[in-house]
Amino acid sequence: MDDFLHTFFDPDEILGVLPALLTEGLRNTLLIAVLAIVFGAVGGVLLAMLLLSRHRLVRLPARLYVDVFRGLPAIVTVSLVGVGLPAAGLRPFGREPLGYAVLAIALISAAYSAEIFRSGIQAVPAGQLHAARSLGMPYLTAMRVVVVPQGVRNVLPALAGQFIIDIKESALVYLLGLGFGQRELYFIAQERQAATYNSSALVAAGLCYLLVTIPLTYAVNWLDKRMRDGRRVTAAPLAAAPEKAVV
Amino acid sequence: MSTGTTTVAAPPAVSVHGLHKRYGPLEVLRSVDLDVAAGETVCVIGRSGSGKSTLLKCLNLLEPPTSGEIRIGGSAITGAGVAVDAVRARAGMVFQHFNLFPHMSVLKNVTVALRHVHGFDKDAAEAAAMTQLERFGLAGLAHQRPGRLSGGQQQRVAIARALAMEPEVMLFDEATSALDPELVKDVLDVMRTLAASGMTMLAVTHEIAFAREVADRVVFMDEGRVAESGPAHSTLDHPQTARLREFLARVL
Repeated sequence: MDDFLHTFFDPDEILGVLPALLTEGLRNTLLIAVLAIVFGAVGGVLLAMLLLSRHRLVRLPARLYVDVFRGLPAIVTVSLVGVGLPAAGLRPFGREPLGYAVLAIALISAAYSAEIFRSGIQAVPAGQLHAARSLGMPYLTAMRVVVVPQGVRNVLPALAGQFIIDIKESALVYLLGLGFGQRELYFIAQERQAATYNSSALVAAGLCYLLVTIPLTYAVNWLDKRMRDGRRVTAAPLAAAPEKAVV
Repeated sequence: MSTGTTTVAAPPAVSVHGLHKRYGPLEVLRSVDLDVAAGETVCVIGRSGSGKSTLLKCLNLLEPPTSGEIRIGGSAITGAGVAVDAVRARAGMVFQHFNLFPHMSVLKNVTVALRHVHGFDKDAAEAAAMTQLERFGLAGLAHQRPGRLSGGQQQRVAIARALAMEPEVMLFDEATSALDPELVKDVLDVMRTLAASGMTMLAVTHEIAFAREVADRVVFMDEGRVAESGPAHSTLDHPQTARLREFLARVL
C-alpha cells in the first residue's frame, strides 16, 4: 500500500513538478487545444454545409475527407502531419512542433464536428429556411443567419465532447519532440516519470487535464441551457405582458 | 388602381397564366389562371390537396412552377434569369406555423431581413421594425424570444416581419389553421385591417366567414384547377358548381 501511494501520490514529486505543469505545460496544452478547437469547429461548420449540398460533386469530397480523418487513428494523423510534412519539405510552421500539432488535431476535429454539425443543422425545421428565403434572403445568407446558428445550438453538448477529445489529443504532440518552453502537460509529466520511475507527476498532469475538461462540460451545459431559455431580458413574467388591442 | 392621369390600366398586382406544377407523376396544379388587382383581397378556398397552398408557394417561388407564367406588378417572375431573391422580397409570406426564428428576439426577427436583404443599417431597421410592431400592439414584446409568445402573438409578429419588407403582395398560407380557436380572432383582425388599408392580399384559408366578410373575391380550387371564382358574397351564397356546393356544405 505504501508503494502504491508512493508511486502515484508522492507529495514531493507532485509539488516538485507542479510549477512546470502550471506555468509551461498548461499554457501549451491550452494553446494547442484552443487553436485546434477553433479551427476544427470552423472547418466542421464549413464541411457540414458541403455535406448538405444538393450537388454530388460538392458533397463527395467533403464526405471523403470526413471518412478519412475520422477513420485514421489520431496518432497516425499527428505523425503524418508533424513528421511527414517537414520531411517532405513542407514546413508551414518551421521547426515549431506545436503548429503541426494544432494542424493535425484541427484536421481530425473538423471531421468529427462536421458530422455533429450536420445532424444539428438537419434537425432545424425546413420552415426556417423557407421563412428566411421568403423574406428574400439568398441561400447562403439564410443558412448563415438563420439555420446554422440554430443547428449549432442543437448540438452544443455533443460539441463539448469533441472539445474534450481535442484537449486530450493535444498530448500527442509529444511524438514530435519538444524543447524547453514548448512542453505541454503530458510531455513534462512523462519526462519526469521516465527519469524517476515514479508516476506522481503523471497524476498531477492528469489533474491538470481534469481541471480544464470538467469545468468545460459544465460551462457548455450552462450555455446550452441559457440559449434554450433565452436570455433573461426582463424579470417580468411574459405571459402577463400587456396585450394591447390590435391596431 | 389607376393612377388617374394615365389612361393605360395598371397591370394586375398578381397575374398567373397557365400555371402547372408537377411532382413527378403527381399533377398538383393543372393550368391555373388568376389575376389579383392591386388592393384586392382574394381568398383561396378548397379541400386539402386541391393545390391552393402549392399555388401560393409558386407565387414567391418557394416551389418552382413546372410551366406557366407568373407576373407580379407586371413583371414576369418565371422563366430563366429571374432574380429569385428579389422576387421573394416583393411578395411577403405568412406561414401556417409562423416560422419565426426562435433564436432571435421578436425585434431581430423583423430586422434581420431588412438588414441582410434591403441593406438597412441597424437603427433604420429597428425603427422600421418598431413601426410595424407598434401597429399590431406588439411593441412591448420586442425583446422577447418567440417561444415565450402565444400563437396569436407569434403569427402577428410573422405578419409584421413580412410587412416590414414593404412587399407589393401579401400571401397568407392558412395563417390561422395552427392557432387555438380563441387566438384566431387576433390574427384575422390584423388581416382585416391590412385588407382595409389597401394591401393586395392572397389568402389560403379555411375561415369561410372571414372570406365572406373581408375578401373582394373568392377562388375555389379543386383538383389543381380554379373551379369557380367570383365576388365573395355571391360565390359563397350562390355557388354555381356542384363541387363548391359540396365543399361549402361540408365546411359550413
